Amino acid sequence: MTGQATRQPAAEGGVRAPVGTVHVVDPHPLNWLFITWNTMEEPVRTDERGNIVGACMEDSGWEGSTLIVKVREGVRFQDGEPLTSHSIKRSFDEVQKWKAPHPPGTYLNFHPDTRVECPDDHTARFVFPEPDGLALAKFRGFHIASTRFWEEEGFGYRKYGTGEGHW
Amino acid sequence: MVLEANPDHWNKERGPRLEKVVFRNDVGPAEALGLVCDAEGEVDIVTEVSPADAGRVRDSDHANLVTIDAMRVVSGLINRNSAPLDDVRVRKALNLAVDRDRLVREVFFGYAHPVAAMAPPYSWESPDDLEPYPHDPEEGKRLLAEAGWPPDRALRLATTGDVEAVARYLAESFGESLGIGVDLVTIPDENLVAAQRALVEKKLPVPFDVLVHAWFDLAAGYPPAVIHREYFHSGGAFRAGPVLPEFEDLMGRSVVETDPEKLGDLGKELDRLVYDEALNVFLCCPQALVAVNKHVDFTGHAATLELAETEVDEGHWSRRGGG
Repeated sequence: MTGQATRQPAAEGGVRAPVGTVHVVDPHPLNWLFITWNTMEEPVRTDERGNIVGACMEDSGWEGSTLIVKVREGVRFQDGEPLTSHSIKRSFDEVQKWKAPHPPGTYLNFHPDTRVECPDDHTARFVFPEPDGLALAKFRGFHIASTRFWEEEGFGYRKYGTGEGHW
Repeated sequence: MVLEANPDHWNKERGPRLEKVVFRNDVGPAEALGLVCDAEGEVDIVTEVSPADAGRVRDSDHANLVTIDAMRVVSGLINRNSAPLDDVRVRKALNLAVDRDRLVREVFFGYAHPVAAMAPPYSWESPDDLEPYPHDPEEGKRLLAEAGWPPDRALRLATTGDVEAVARYLAESFGESLGIGVDLVTIPDENLVAAQRALVEKKLPVPFDVLVHAWFDLAAGYPPAVIHREYFHSGGAFRAGPVLPEFEDLMGRSVVETDPEKLGDLGKELDRLVYDEALNVFLCCPQALVAVNKHVDFTGHAATLELAETEVDEGHWSRRGGG
């Protein structure tokens, strides 16, 4: 590793502003996915050791076979739209209609009878037909996008008319 | 592909710390390695450095080598569909034929960890009480003889190009340790998609006894969901053999288990089961190697390439007026 890097202080709150450019060559076959993870929101992410930690999901807990997700407040997409439980429901509904929307495999799918409810702007209830012990791991592949993304791009749905594993 | 920082991102403690990340798709891996080792301003980060190239990075004036204990595993996928590989004694003999420490030392130049079964040793689901099969050629020969390995039967060993060096080591190990012939076939890159399709579809007999195969997980949370499942579950893409009821039962219980501790215990049971049944030739978990410009403070991730925490110092070319 290199010596300690420095960043310029920002005007407010002691937070430092982004500085500098790096050029990356990443021949990994999952480069497309890594770029997705660098640019999109998910309920969870992985830390340096690969452990799953909360991202736009602040907390979660089970009530029977329903997973209650507390959505972090103050999160905005790049286009300025607030990320709320409704964004999570929209993203879920957009992907759930396909049988194999995830190129890495259908193990990332949620049960087809799962539905998402939004009792308020920062609570999403994932109502599973049975408990899903791997739900949080599946959240890693659950990309949350703004309204504009789904209306204009939708992982190529608009262009190709299907979300079955082509992207 | 250019990524620009979103200064309004909620997680300001984490980042972004860079103004811009440029993914250069116009440079191949070999050229990129030269540019990061021998120059500045062209390439700052090169992933997937081969162990054989690690020394060049370490000796470089411009780059450091970053090693990451990654969620990756290399194994020999055993075709259990027919005799003699359907016999657990034969599969154990193959495992006893391998000197994993020598494999790590000579093929991976030390940049890998021997693994007892399929869960990386640094993951939660790796059982503490499980040790890799020892290198024991005599016991391996005894088990092969007991199982009735035909004297003129050569082992059909297949590999893809990315792990060909591992396959050559295995071919030598099986031959020397067990005294059997080995026919080694490397699948040409142009035939890879068709070969993968045949393995996944399972409509045709697969033309190998052992396939050297590399796989990965996208998180450390529960390796059986991705690694063990793909190799051994009834719905697994790479399964090459009959379904094991005990494995199905454990996986069935784990997919509805929401208690993390109980889920971890089930994961360990799954890893012990595949070890006891010697379902694969268990080998090692390679480290991810990254060449990084010395003015870049790069944070490696075990399951991804993310750059939110990565930053550059004042001596970096992009802060000296070049970026």
